[in-house]
Amino acid sequence: MTDGPLIVQSDKTLLLEVDHPGAEAARRDIAPFAELERAPEHVHTYRITPLGLWNAQAAGHDGEQVVHALLRHSRYAVPQALLVDIVETMGRYGRLTIEKDPAQGLVLRTTDRPVLEEVLRHRKIEPLLGARIDPDTVAVHPSERGHLKQQLLKIGWPAEDLAGYVDGEAHPIALREEGWEMRPYQRQAVEGFWHGGSGVVVLPCGAGKTIVGAAAMAAAQATTLILVTNTVAARQWKDELLRRTSLTEQEIGEYSGTRKEIRPVTIATYQVLAVRRQGVYSHLELLDARDWGLVVYDEVHLLPAPIFRMTADLQARRRLGLTATLVREDGREGDVFSLIGPKRFDAPWKDIEAQGWIAPADCVEVRVTLTESERMAYAVAEPDERYRLASCTPAKDRVVEQLVERHTGEPTLVIGQYLDQLATLAERLDAPIITGATPVAERQRLYGAFRAGELGLLVVSKVANFSIDLPEASVAIQVSGTFGSRQEEAQRLGRVLRPKVDGRTAHFYTVVSRDTVDADFAAHRQRFLAEQGYAYRIIDASDL
Amino acid sequence: MTPGASVPETPELFRSLAEDLRSRTDEQLAALLVARPDLARPAPADLVALAARASSRPSVQRAIERADRAMVHALQAVVIAGETHPVGAAAPHEVAQLLGADDPALQDVLTRLRDVALIWSSAEGIHPVRSVAEVLGPNPGGLGVRAAEIPDRYAASSPPSAAELADLLSTAPAAARAIVERLTWGPPVGAVPPSGTSRDGAIWLVEHGFVAPTGLGHVTLVREVALELRGGRLYPRTALAPPVLQLRAVEQVTAERVAGTHARELLDQIEQLGTLWSQSPARVLRSGGIGVRELAALARTLDTDAPQAAFVAEAALGAGLIADDGEIAPAWVPTSEFDAWQARPASHRWVDVLTSWMASPRAVHLSANGDRAATTPSPLGPELHWPPIRSLRADVLAELAGLPAGSAPTPESVGEAIAWRRPLGDDQSIAVGVAAVMQQAEWLGLTGLGALTSVGGALAEGADPDTLRSAADALLPAAVDHVLLQADLTAIAPGPLDGPLGRLMRLVSDVESRGGATVLRFSAPTVRRALDAGMTADDILGQLAAASRTPIPQPLDYLVRDIARRHGQTRVGGATAYVRSDDEAVLAALVADRSLSSELLRRIAPTVVVSQADPVTLLEKLRAAGYAPAREALDGSLVVSAPQGRRARDSRRRPAARGIPDPTLRLVDLEFARSVVAALRCAPPRPAASSTPSGPLSNPPGESANLLRHAIADAFPVWVGYADGNGRTARHLVRPVRIEGGRVYAVSGESDAEQVFLLHRITGAQPG
Repeated sequence: MTDGPLIVQSDKTLLLEVDHPGAEAARRDIAPFAELERAPEHVHTYRITPLGLWNAQAAGHDGEQVVHALLRHSRYAVPQALLVDIVETMGRYGRLTIEKDPAQGLVLRTTDRPVLEEVLRHRKIEPLLGARIDPDTVAVHPSERGHLKQQLLKIGWPAEDLAGYVDGEAHPIALREEGWEMRPYQRQAVEGFWHGGSGVVVLPCGAGKTIVGAAAMAAAQATTLILVTNTVAARQWKDELLRRTSLTEQEIGEYSGTRKEIRPVTIATYQVLAVRRQGVYSHLELLDARDWGLVVYDEVHLLPAPIFRMTADLQARRRLGLTATLVREDGREGDVFSLIGPKRFDAPWKDIEAQGWIAPADCVEVRVTLTESERMAYAVAEPDERYRLASCTPAKDRVVEQLVERHTGEPTLVIGQYLDQLATLAERLDAPIITGATPVAERQRLYGAFRAGELGLLVVSKVANFSIDLPEASVAIQVSGTFGSRQEEAQRLGRVLRPKVDGRTAHFYTVVSRDTVDADFAAHRQRFLAEQGYAYRIIDASDL
Repeated sequence: MTPGASVPETPELFRSLAEDLRSRTDEQLAALLVARPDLARPAPADLVALAARASSRPSVQRAIERADRAMVHALQAVVIAGETHPVGAAAPHEVAQLLGADDPALQDVLTRLRDVALIWSSAEGIHPVRSVAEVLGPNPGGLGVRAAEIPDRYAASSPPSAAELADLLSTAPAAARAIVERLTWGPPVGAVPPSGTSRDGAIWLVEHGFVAPTGLGHVTLVREVALELRGGRLYPRTALAPPVLQLRAVEQVTAERVAGTHARELLDQIEQLGTLWSQSPARVLRSGGIGVRELAALARTLDTDAPQAAFVAEAALGAGLIADDGEIAPAWVPTSEFDAWQARPASHRWVDVLTSWMASPRAVHLSANGDRAATTPSPLGPELHWPPIRSLRADVLAELAGLPAGSAPTPESVGEAIAWRRPLGDDQSIAVGVAAVMQQAEWLGLTGLGALTSVGGALAEGADPDTLRSAADALLPAAVDHVLLQADLTAIAPGPLDGPLGRLMRLVSDVESRGGATVLRFSAPTVRRALDAGMTADDILGQLAAASRTPIPQPLDYLVRDIARRHGQTRVGGATAYVRSDDEAVLAALVADRSLSSELLRRIAPTVVVSQADPVTLLEKLRAAGYAPAREALDGSLVVSAPQGRRARDSRRRPAARGIPDPTLRLVDLEFARSVVAALRCAPPRPAASSTPSGPLSNPPGESANLLRHAIADAFPVWVGYADGNGRTARHLVRPVRIEGGRVYAVSGESDAEQVFLLHRITGAQPG
């Protein structure tokens, strides 16, 4: 019996004992094919999924390497069936390739004729294919390249896309590394992406995904379409690009609800593309407005369904996905794989923290107790009102006051879900409030002031969830949230993880009401962070 | 099967099987009884009775079923060679020629046949025991009718002589040659189509004496022709030695390790099955068994395929861990035995499953025959009852146990070897059965990577449970004595979890994933479960801290204390009656009243007292004790009418458990066989047969029937005692002709007219 750090479970999860001397070697060997699922303090859990295996295969690993890694590090006998399954699953990727044939155009080619026969007989795939050219080759309608890949993945025969990309309209873009330089992992991420052609780069919040995007643009030297979640994020991308690259104000356009500029580099929001008027997407012309050489997707895990559909038509262009997590609450990881591309780079959160690129964080859950009358109100409330009641208890206001007081002088954010609760808090704390109704100019002004240190405290609604960049926020106080969303929790924690100038620890407080659904949802939200290695401390409001 | 004491190379010559038996040593007789236990139970009266029983059809049938392929082939050769001789005895050299075998190998096989009393030798040669020919069927060795037996009306064309056979056949039409080719190696009977070239070919063959018409539209290849075409041999290949197994060498240490992992996995799977089915029981199909969808759900839960899921369910059923609950909508649910089983150490649990598997008459692989979905029996269903699987299991394990350590034979070669030992079985079903048994042995952890483990070996030897358990302990991966607690409210046991620690962890947390390690998750319900089981927050945290190598993470501490704080805030109990009064003093008096002590009054609040007594009884008692209680209805209003007469509570009568007699029978072992032989030797000699028997004829029915069969075969007269329709018994001297359907057809005196005797009315028989 070997004494490896790895234990293979029957549900295809791998447990890695991190304190084991061989843990680091084992982690390196399994990282290419297994997704880190949970990373609490002692034992990390990785999961082997077909997508993970195909990602590994796409990155040039083969079944033998995977099996070897498992056998080498495993503490107990590895079930034979699992090994066979791994080799078979990995062997499925690449039996079908999509290629560009000089004479025939886009073709689907196979190295295994029965697979092609099976695929050809599939009801949903048959209409996507053209004439049979020879026994191993069949023509593909260029417009169906994305749909074909989607469907092939669904039936378990993912195709390797070797058809290459159009260069797009050339446009000079250069990185201006003045006073800053790219971090090693950012460089690796860009390299991984560029050699892979298209795909997803997974980096934690605060690890500088924008810079990876900018570097990819510099590598492409072509017109670029950047898709982001909302207008604020669009502005931040623009600022960042102006700061980090040779691009000028005139070269960057914003395509959003308010402005419709199309320039060599265009930043568009998901919402505007997903807008439908009388059943048609009215802004699709943007996609064909220029001959884009690169499409960047920010926050891939939030891509709405219509964007997926459009992406299916963009298969000839290079695509870069940026995200903090491949986990989607809607389970469409397969579409990300087939339409944007395999995972090209991944760095665990804790690793980057250890390298000092993101700030260490202290996560604290503060429990408040409802008063007698509140408990009674809660007990008789309708189930759908309970969360609101528990979230908005005045008891929380007192705690927030105490916390703000404790961190006077540190840039602090108070984040919440319910507007009247936030309004009350803003009034009590005498701080400006930013909600969806705040005009963009006002938002920019407040962010600017906060960034400059003129403003030490901001109360924000969920508009601040995504892509705002507040470099000096070091304390976040969460008073309410969107039920049990793990994603939101990760995003909010990300607000305070940007490295601090003085290297101090970030603080993340969640205020929850004891013995209510609020506590249950909080537990669910925290699971993701606890799994990422951010352990929560729980303290009682009375101990503050 | 072969007794240690061998027979001399040239056996003494006897006139009957009985004489042969009488000449044997006690050890040889005992070995015979062990090899053919049906001869020993009930114990025969004397050696004549033993010989009679040994030549009875059922006993011979059983003996041949136990014989290996070499013995059956040799026996067939003896029968075929003997048929050409008037007394039915075969010359050894003819047998050797038929088998194409050299002498020493054949001699050994013949010795084994004699040891089990299927043949005996006389001056004329080797005799098969009577009934052997009958048991072997009409076409021994796939040979057809003998030329001499062809009915006269077809005998016009005699079969071609050996010399002219080849020439004649070369001139035959192609269709005729094709027919001969098909029939040569048996079966020798072919159907003739009503027209066409095949019919012409068949007619040509009949005309030239190759085949004989037998029955409507059928022809049979003449035996002499077939033997000539076979080159004088009975079988294309001699099978006097068992086939050699194809082995793959594996490291025994690795095999044992893999087997241990599999065993752990199986135990886990059974537990998962129990958990799954106690929450959502699987419906019992109308035909018994479980449906495809439920099996698929089980397979998903166990993270395996349907055949293995079916096997796990069958293993649980075999060990009595699940059962049909017998409700109106019946479902498969864990039994109370399941709970007891779960609490036992792993080695005990494993051995329970192993021994019940070994003894189970159910063949789960029959449910996985696949392609004919409509006729495939469902797992757990009654159609899977197939007792031969038991001996097949024993055979497979014995075959594996006979190999050196670390050899993994292929299922195909094991199948062939077992088919050689059980030549009368269907080769195909043996091959399928052996493959299934070997697969199951792997799942059970009896073999690892195909090689038998120490536990498998012990099971094959029939070791007792204690021996098995200690072997199992050595094989199973050692359980861990600690867990790792983590801040995300999980605990990880980095190895098998067992014993008190396993019980604790399963109580306070839920299993999230299994395999080499166990991942457990703490949640509010699991902590509550532990509190319900009587633990306190300090107990839980204390025991966890003792079991954990890491300190208790703060969130876990919080979780446990938070749940404990709310646990038991409200309490629920049962009472049959309550007494309430606004006057606290009255209630205090009630509780203190000694005459009411039998009513188990308990004060649960200043103004409420509860009792386990029936409200009506309580009312009467209180009145008798001098109080003036009033009856309250469910809504709190007073009941004014007098209470109704008393009624018994509805109690459903429970079905009484039926006592099942213990069917244990002692095996026929050597010791028992020796005692039987000793009794046989002491049996008083039988009186010599007289011309007219004195007194009523009476002997056991089996013996009478056997004597009658002898008389038919050897054509000697017999005295039979026969009870007529009025119950009077009379003696008849008859010459039996045949026995058919429970009737004896016989002629008496000089007459040719057949008389019919009902076999069950024959009181006895004696040679006349």
